Amino acid sequence: MPADTFHIAWPRLRPGLLLALPVLLLAGALAGAVLTWRAAAANREIADLEAGRDRPVATDAPAPLLLARVLYLAHRDATEEMEPLVAALETRAAPALLARARYALGNARLRRALDLIERSQLDPAGPLIVLARQEYRRALQARPDFWDAKFNLDVASRLIRDFPEVDRQVGDELKAEPKKIWTDIPGQPRGAP
Amino acid sequence: MRPLLAGLLILLAAASATAQPRTVEVRVPRTFGYFLGDLVEAIVEVETEPGFTIQAASLPQPGPVTYWLDLRRVETETAGTRHRLHLTYQTFYAAIDARTLEVPGFPLVLTSADTHGATTAPIQVPAWNLGVSPIREVQPARRADPAEYLRPDGQGPRLDPAPPRTAALALAALALPALLLLARDRAWWPFRPRPARAFAEAARRLRSLARQPDSEAGYREGLLALHRGLDAKAGSRLLADDLDAFLGRHPAYRPQADNLARFFAASRLAFFGNAVAEARCRMPLAEAEATARQLAVAERAA
Repeated sequence: MPADTFHIAWPRLRPGLLLALPVLLLAGALAGAVLTWRAAAANREIADLEAGRDRPVATDAPAPLLLARVLYLAHRDATEEMEPLVAALETRAAPALLARARYALGNARLRRALDLIERSQLDPAGPLIVLARQEYRRALQARPDFWDAKFNLDVASRLIRDFPEVDRQVGDELKAEPKKIWTDIPGQPRGAP
Repeated sequence: MRPLLAGLLILLAAASATAQPRTVEVRVPRTFGYFLGDLVEAIVEVETEPGFTIQAASLPQPGPVTYWLDLRRVETETAGTRHRLHLTYQTFYAAIDARTLEVPGFPLVLTSADTHGATTAPIQVPAWNLGVSPIREVQPARRADPAEYLRPDGQGPRLDPAPPRTAALALAALALPALLLLARDRAWWPFRPRPARAFAEAARRLRSLARQPDSEAGYREGLLALHRGLDAKAGSRLLADDLDAFLGRHPAYRPQADNLARFFAASRLAFFGNAVAEARCRMPLAEAEATARQLAVAERAA
């Protein structure tokens, strides 16, 4: 009889349950308070970065904080420092933030390229524009309704057009060369001296 | 031999008859006015002979189709002999003028598995046209700094501390009544001792006495505390002779019968025999406290 089982089991369980309930609830409340405090701390750091005060940001920081540092670096066109942060954002499930970070990286590259073009250094500007277009394209893949990325991709595309013959198979992706492995020791002496 | 041959012929005839699908149709809700980065939905409808399905391995794979077009998603839907492919493309063509581009078609394989083996039939999904539009004028107004042609980097979002704060407050608000329930169950402050929790009070008194330095007065007081607990539980003054009747009325405390009997014997020695030392030897205060604690546990579970 389930009703009988309940009547027997309930008085025995009741003291333990009454003890566990406030303990669990207080533990949950404490965890919520810690999360709130962390969010507030991250927001203060984001505000600092937006105000132009640099803060070191670890790659395991919350995604909005990573993005704030990426935008700070983009403002200074420091593309090399941005790359590990964008790569860290890739592992988070935040497509909108990743799109914004890639867009900022594309902008930083394109600004450097435009600066080089201004100084008539066309050769180093080319690869930068191609890389910037890749970032815009990836930003749009993550967020198809990202209008600023569409606009800037159009600007970059007018500087260097796509050539159908060149990358018909690979699209905009650059394939990495498989690692070349030495099958023989170079320079090993052979035959008679 | 003859029936087998006849069967084979029928099968071949059936295979040739079903090899041709009735129709393949590409339907696009809108074929014009796409900017770069826009998603393009296309629906391929294939009407087959009964029993035929589209081979899953022949479906187009998401990825780059041409240098300006990606295939993002392929979903299939089947209703009877009508098979529908929902294709989602993304165009990256940076148009300078409005123009029409050709989206390439692709082959599909229809297959029909029956007891005699599988029959396959290839079909071709035709290419279709897509109209793309420019997003900017051909020659924008001149700017001093070329970087001004670009849209700004923009700002990222902040973290939202509201959900964890709400959760923390709600849990804390729930913890308060839970704590009150616990305090009531254990007869903690602000709840007064009541007959239903008489042993809780006795156990508390004994615990505080056990922490104090050993003394005869303290021992007597401890015994009295347990007496008061038993009295409150029984509803009247409980003597050693009433113990059996009491345990009969409250079977929950029966596991403590031996300890209670020893307690009454020690109490008799301490209060009437004037032999507190012997009483303490028979029933030390620590054991009386343990007994009271066990009684309190049984009381809460009763």
